[in-house]
Amino acid sequence: MFMKMLVSSLIRRRSRMLVALIAIAIGATVLLGMVAISFDIPRQMGREFRSYGANMILVPSGEDALVKLSDAERAAAFIPKEQLVGMTPYRYEIVRINMQGYTAAGTSFDDVRRTSPYWNVNGEWPKGADDILIGSDIAEFTRITPGTVIAITGRSGSGARFKRDMTVSGIVRTGSVEDAFIFMHMPTLEELMGDSGTAEVVEISVATSEAGLGELVSRIEAEVPGVSPRLVKRVTQSETAVLSKLQSLVFLVTLVVLALTMICVATTMMTVVMERRKEIGLKKAIGAGNRSIAAEFIGEGLLLGVAGGLFGGVCGYFFAQAVSMNVFGRSVYLDWKLLPLTAAVSAVVTVAACLGPVRRATDVEPALVLRGE
Amino acid sequence: MFRRMLLGALTRQRGKLAMIALTMALGVSLATAMLNVMMDVGDKVNQELKAYGANLSVVPRGASILGDLYGVEEGLGVSDKYLAEDELPRIKTIFWAFNIVDFAPYLETKASIGSGTREVDATVTGTWFDKHLDVPTGESVDTGIKRLKSWWDVNGGWADDSVSDASADGMMGSNLAAKLGIGLGDTVSVTAAESSGTVTVAGIFHSGGNEDDRLFVPLRFAQAISGKAGLVGSMEVSALTTPENDLARRAAQDPNSLSRHEWDTWYCTAYISSIAYQIEEVISNARAKPVLQVAESEGAILQKTQLLMLLLTILSLACSALAISNLVTASVMERSAEIGLLKAVGASGVEVSLLIMTEITITAFAGGVLGYFVGLGFAQMIGSTVFGSAINAKLMVIPMVAVLVVVVTLAGSLPAMKMLLSLRPAEVLHGR
Repeated sequence: MFMKMLVSSLIRRRSRMLVALIAIAIGATVLLGMVAISFDIPRQMGREFRSYGANMILVPSGEDALVKLSDAERAAAFIPKEQLVGMTPYRYEIVRINMQGYTAAGTSFDDVRRTSPYWNVNGEWPKGADDILIGSDIAEFTRITPGTVIAITGRSGSGARFKRDMTVSGIVRTGSVEDAFIFMHMPTLEELMGDSGTAEVVEISVATSEAGLGELVSRIEAEVPGVSPRLVKRVTQSETAVLSKLQSLVFLVTLVVLALTMICVATTMMTVVMERRKEIGLKKAIGAGNRSIAAEFIGEGLLLGVAGGLFGGVCGYFFAQAVSMNVFGRSVYLDWKLLPLTAAVSAVVTVAACLGPVRRATDVEPALVLRGE
Repeated sequence: MFRRMLLGALTRQRGKLAMIALTMALGVSLATAMLNVMMDVGDKVNQELKAYGANLSVVPRGASILGDLYGVEEGLGVSDKYLAEDELPRIKTIFWAFNIVDFAPYLETKASIGSGTREVDATVTGTWFDKHLDVPTGESVDTGIKRLKSWWDVNGGWADDSVSDASADGMMGSNLAAKLGIGLGDTVSVTAAESSGTVTVAGIFHSGGNEDDRLFVPLRFAQAISGKAGLVGSMEVSALTTPENDLARRAAQDPNSLSRHEWDTWYCTAYISSIAYQIEEVISNARAKPVLQVAESEGAILQKTQLLMLLLTILSLACSALAISNLVTASVMERSAEIGLLKAVGASGVEVSLLIMTEITITAFAGGVLGYFVGLGFAQMIGSTVFGSAINAKLMVIPMVAVLVVVVTLAGSLPAMKMLLSLRPAEVLHGR
């Protein structure tokens, strides 16, 4: 009997129930969408902050002057794959162009593009083994343009002289020390120098929080004796400061939006229930108890809340996904536990919103209500 | 008659109209808060991103090449070019002076630092720690590395800029301090090319960069011991900038390639390249270079944040619009009996719609005004909690919200109105 009343009430009053259902679904969409986004912000924004470059560097520990690349690989093994944005070794040597001394850095350009996305290269990134990048200060000083072939001379590790023609494929501009360096492929520099497998410094970009970085540092320090990991404080500390502000911003906005949406859902439900005072009066007149009337409304509210919540939750997921794809170009991470939670919250809000008007309606004398007063 | 009916409806239907007004107020407050926060979030986040330090470095023209080189000794070739210290305050007179947040000069010199029996060769950097400056425009500013290097972990305090009789306060990098076995308050002797002096270590800092191997002293002191009175080696500037676009990129390549109109737009926009250009205009023989690590990343983060807020704002606007129109529809439908009666006693469809529309508009307007001020409150709450500063209330928000209210009210009442007009009075009054 109860189920029959419930179902027929929902079906007969289709349009009103649709209004309520839409309101609840909108509320649930906002709820799930905003909560998913605000929980995902540190991860997504953290990735964006990696454009500031490396946040950890590996330098030689103890007496050594150089980092062994094999040690660096072992250290990198402690960083979870999905958090490691890039790892770039730099080896510095002195070379000469037209008898003028410059610092040449051997590195891996694919990794540079991952760890230091802010490098501005005029021309092409080096491809072939003899392609090099030169800093913009050197380019300005020597008036070398992309495409020029220059002779690089110097002494290898064992003291033998070398001379090699190389092509300047591009000019790099960063506004800091890199502007005065020459960059070449690591194997090329190793070939010129006659030894391999070392670097002065290894830059690592890890997408994780400052606490996570601290943990990595102490693990690498303990497990890999050959290197000593250091945090780039300028990047890590500032990131923590700015990121926490951004997160609390989105969190507060979410709170405000949620509170207002929930109030909106509640007011809609109140209107819907208030309209039915006549029906309540009639039921009371033919002998329904307050309790059974309340039970019917609560049942209706529950059903609407759960249905609207589930529907809205799914919409909310698509909404969060759309925002995430548009802003960050990555898909959003969603904890599926949020979906039943959204439905539960919607149901609670809906039922709570019904209770007030129902109580007021049941308090009234049926005769008065039916007469229309 | 119309006015009497309207007044009657407004007073008698208080409860229901109050509900519409309330929903409207909620929706509008949400819209106002989000719009205000969204429009100001760029400035606020920009301000926060200043934590990453300077985004412009100013060096003497032609000298940049050797100063930064690793492994090449000082004094080779052209490194004897400097900026004049007395020109530095002019930086606060450029078109975008207001956007210059902080700046600090540097003068580096090699010196041997001695403490007791130990002696170490290290780089000594002269700078402003927290300098009070009088600008040619009559204003005064406080600037220096205390603000510029917010990530430094300082043990002790920031040093003072005053110098007396070849002795001053200084700050020592943690690596150098460990090498010398120096603690807070100790005094070291500093001997450079020209003369020597004593420095009291007021603070020991950890920066995580190569500054940790250096001693920072007041600029005047560094000038005295290196014999470079009134000279500065380089300068760092932290400026609030607008993210780069196509125009800015073209201008960065060659400002002369722009048309007159484009040039004006570029010059009067706070692009990092136009600020750099203006700094080069006021400081003679200077070259201002954007530090891309900071400048580029700043732009990326700013754009992402703004886009995120924009999308969230659109969403919440859509939601409040739907919620309001939903409620308006529900409350108009409710009044079918009253409308049926009006029609039964001879009111035309137009008259009925006019009455109801006026009622709802008045209610919505009242709710909207209330909601606007509540929304301002929300925006200020967000501003002060998150950024610790007030959100700028933009006047542009008012017409936007007004349009929203009108559109939403109309859209919300139209379907209901259409239904009401097609009602047959007899049926409605009968209660069907």
